[in-house]
Amino acid sequence: MSRFFVLSLNGLTQGAIYAAMALALVMIWRATQVINFAQGAMAMFTTYLALFAIDHGVPYWLAFLVALSSGLILGAIVERVIVRPVESAPPLNVVILTLGLLLFLEALAPMLFGGQIRSFPPAFSIVGLHFGNSQVAFSPFDAFTLGSVLAVMVLLLVLFQKTDLGLRMRAAAFNPDVSRLLGIRVGRMLTLGWSLASLVGALAGVLIAPSLLLYPTFMDQVLVFGFTGAVLGGLDSAVGAVVGGLLMGFALSYVGGYLGSDLETVGALVILIAVLMVRPRGLFSRHRLRQA
Amino acid sequence: MLEVVDLTVAYGPVVALHGVSLTVQDASITAVLGANGAGKTTLVRTISGLVRPRAGSVRLDGRELIRLPPEEIARLGIAHVPQGQGVLAELTVDENLRLGGLWRRDRKAQRGALDETYELFPPLAGRRHLTAFSLSGGERQMLSVGRALVARPRLLLLDEPSLGLARRALVQIMGRIKALVTERGLTVLLIEQNAKSALSVADDAIVLHLGNVVAHGPAQKLADEEGLRHAYLGF
Repeated sequence: MSRFFVLSLNGLTQGAIYAAMALALVMIWRATQVINFAQGAMAMFTTYLALFAIDHGVPYWLAFLVALSSGLILGAIVERVIVRPVESAPPLNVVILTLGLLLFLEALAPMLFGGQIRSFPPAFSIVGLHFGNSQVAFSPFDAFTLGSVLAVMVLLLVLFQKTDLGLRMRAAAFNPDVSRLLGIRVGRMLTLGWSLASLVGALAGVLIAPSLLLYPTFMDQVLVFGFTGAVLGGLDSAVGAVVGGLLMGFALSYVGGYLGSDLETVGALVILIAVLMVRPRGLFSRHRLRQA
Repeated sequence: MLEVVDLTVAYGPVVALHGVSLTVQDASITAVLGANGAGKTTLVRTISGLVRPRAGSVRLDGRELIRLPPEEIARLGIAHVPQGQGVLAELTVDENLRLGGLWRRDRKAQRGALDETYELFPPLAGRRHLTAFSLSGGERQMLSVGRALVARPRLLLLDEPSLGLARRALVQIMGRIKALVTERGLTVLLIEQNAKSALSVADDAIVLHLGNVVAHGPAQKLADEEGLRHAYLGF
């Protein structure tokens, strides 16, 4: 029982990060119908920038902001420079470009920051909390991870559902042509969508770096698990991405804990296949509705 | 005043408009008539910037619109109600309507315009918070037109508003638009296949045939020309 509890807590924290990654992928998918395979590499790069700042004596929280704001900027640059020029080309073009960007960033990072594995400081202690005289496997940093992912999701929800800007962004994603006729500057909305998604990815990077350690390909598996979560959720549903990401966190934690950690990746694949066999559109997709 | 001069539009080798010229006077309704494939929709899509012409010019009060992107043209006060699928089915009725006027700065006036639209189209008011997906074809058309009016446009481009609308709803919409023409000086370019009903509300009309203007003049005069009616208008 206590083992199950420990694994669940661990799954929740990991799941929050996969959920953030899945959400980043879904935001971009909804805005531009692109799977951004460079999402993980972009987060890796912004995490390195934060570490670079810390190495140069910048306090942790400022470095945290460096990661998030460089995420915002990097997302905008990628959309403007890489995605926009092939906007009207076949979708495969942009997929190949994001794969290229992935390789580029993973090659560039060791040139700029060195290729050795680095440790990344957590914002808070990673020692489990004490309740009475028993210690649980849930640290202040885990709480911070959960809290910050939750906060970002709530902020995004408010932005998209309650503000005029969010309404514009949703309209631009659903139907660019009609949106243009309504005076919406669709290009800016798409850039902003990539920016925000990349910010969410950057957050995932800084949050998971303390436990995974930082090296140029450290986000690859997070991307794979986040992507699996996004597909589980249906790819075009933000709620689905969050639920899918959390499910991945729990499932991988149980697989790793009960069956051995080398089975985690296989476990992810098995879950994906199982769910897609039962619900090919994912758990939360409104695809059927949108086709009509 | 909207001036279209020598507009030529081609999709690859297929020429849709051959040097079309027309003038739409302020505070008037001009009907564009013609059969399927005459180039009517291409004409409005070019005016609103969705289609790039090969040659020619489109000017609103002397300002050249060609080469402006659609969103900037919309922000000059040109509202285009596209044929059929103009509503954002994933968004609610209220969100669709709000989108119409988001580019405007006058928030208070926008609120008023929204209320006005709900008064004009009671079926929409009842479905305010449902997604537009749940609307019938006629209700979607109301939403499309209502959303364009929320922007308080100077120039309204209506592409087949009668499509899917019940006769009564159409009469109501056109009545409202006529009132806006006289009260607020709205200018309307009305695309219609149903020539008879369009000529009954329009001040002027042009007839397109295979991308050429074959007739233009006061609506009443065109309606009285029997040869023209038989040849192009089908009534």
